[in-house]
Amino acid sequence: MIPCIESGIPGFDDLTKSESGMGGIPENSSTLVYGPPKTGKTIFSNQFAYQGLINDEPCLYIITDQGIKQLEAMMFDFHRPINKFIEDKTLYIIDTTSDISEGKPQQNGNIVYSYINNPTDIMVKVGSGVQCVYSNNPRFRSVLDSSTTLLAYNENMLILRVLKAYLMRISETGGSPIITYTEDSADKKVETMLKTMVDNIVRLDGKELTVEAMKGIGKRSSPYQITDEGLIL
Amino acid sequence: MIPTIESGIPGFDELTVSEISEGGIPKKSTTLIYGPPKTGKSIFCNQFTYHGLLKQEPCLYLTTDQSLKQLQSNMMEFQWLIMNYIQNQTLYVIDGISQLSGAKLGETNNIKSSSVANSSDMMVKMGIGTRSVYKKSNHFRSVLDSLNTLIAFNPDQMVIRVLKAYLRRIREAGGSGIIAYTEGVADLETENILKSLFDNIIRLDGENIHFEFLSEEDDQLYNFESTYTITDKGLVIGKK
Repeated sequence: MIPCIESGIPGFDDLTKSESGMGGIPENSSTLVYGPPKTGKTIFSNQFAYQGLINDEPCLYIITDQGIKQLEAMMFDFHRPINKFIEDKTLYIIDTTSDISEGKPQQNGNIVYSYINNPTDIMVKVGSGVQCVYSNNPRFRSVLDSSTTLLAYNENMLILRVLKAYLMRISETGGSPIITYTEDSADKKVETMLKTMVDNIVRLDGKELTVEAMKGIGKRSSPYQITDEGLIL
Repeated sequence: MIPTIESGIPGFDELTVSEISEGGIPKKSTTLIYGPPKTGKSIFCNQFTYHGLLKQEPCLYLTTDQSLKQLQSNMMEFQWLIMNYIQNQTLYVIDGISQLSGAKLGETNNIKSSSVANSSDMMVKMGIGTRSVYKKSNHFRSVLDSLNTLIAFNPDQMVIRVLKAYLRRIREAGGSGIIAYTEGVADLETENILKSLFDNIIRLDGENIHFEFLSEEDDQLYNFESTYTITDKGLVIGKK
């Protein structure tokens, strides 16, 4: 039996049910969510993060595409308010964008800022972030949304190494990480490498969600919609 | 007849029977296993390793994509329990990735920690590892899973150099080596050089397995092809 955690996406856990697993995302495994732009990758990640939070699984969230305010607003729009989790410190956010656009926001224990063009600094903060969420609960989640921006601002191979280190760090401590990536935003080589680094691969194309790889199950897919409750299969 | 060893993959040895071979992986040869991501390359390698261990053939395992801990849990899913073999030292592991996560690996006689980012250290550890398994039996297996992370951390030229050194050591010691690589991770040019370094090539595409080996006996290229599926017993050849 492969132990799984709830994905938070209605229909996803049913889709991934098998003889050896109860459906969901296999515990302590890493997932790549990719697809063309605007297909719901961020929404998928947010639902995953939120489901963890309401299940008492803390989350380390690294945002590179939007600032913390936008993240909060977006989650709120989908009826998933996160301010409570920021307050009780189960949600740990590394924001790599706000500094650039909004001047100097306030830094507190579980909200830290980094720079998109400084992967070393991001890794240092991931290190302390992991320690913090891990001490809360060794069963935690992590989201990196998205790798595309990191790739755009830095040398590709460097980012692949950073992502590998990130995935190793989360996996070794018992967490389940998700990385998002916009298809064709970098070299095909990068995409292949990303796929080899993760355990599970989920592709969103706007209409269909395809589980291209996952422990214990073969390829599966289902149509999906984005509603005001988020992604629904 | 060329001497072979059992692959451990149900159906594979039957598939590869020919006029000059009883089927299986040619003994003392090196094999590249490649294909797109998530097609079962690691599973093949692990099955090959475990089968050897069951037959008292020691194994030198270089893990560069997954930590030893992840390797153990992945093998556990197929009921391939390697703990005993680590304890009785027939399985020698070089973990080239744990250091990256900051995890401290407890080194023992047969568990060594190295780093994909430090190719000279990898080469030194490979040398020591080969000697160690060779002393146990000159009939040993070796797996390197995989070249991908090495390619991410080093220039292609360096990876080829490391690989050449490794293959030479395995050949000299008389072992049978399998090396995994994900298609498309390196440039086409590098990929072609890679392929040229091996005696045998296996390609997995998710549905079909293709095996090609060059016989030293009659200088002929032998090709075999079949379908395969991934089951809870690992890879199974020729069943739909």
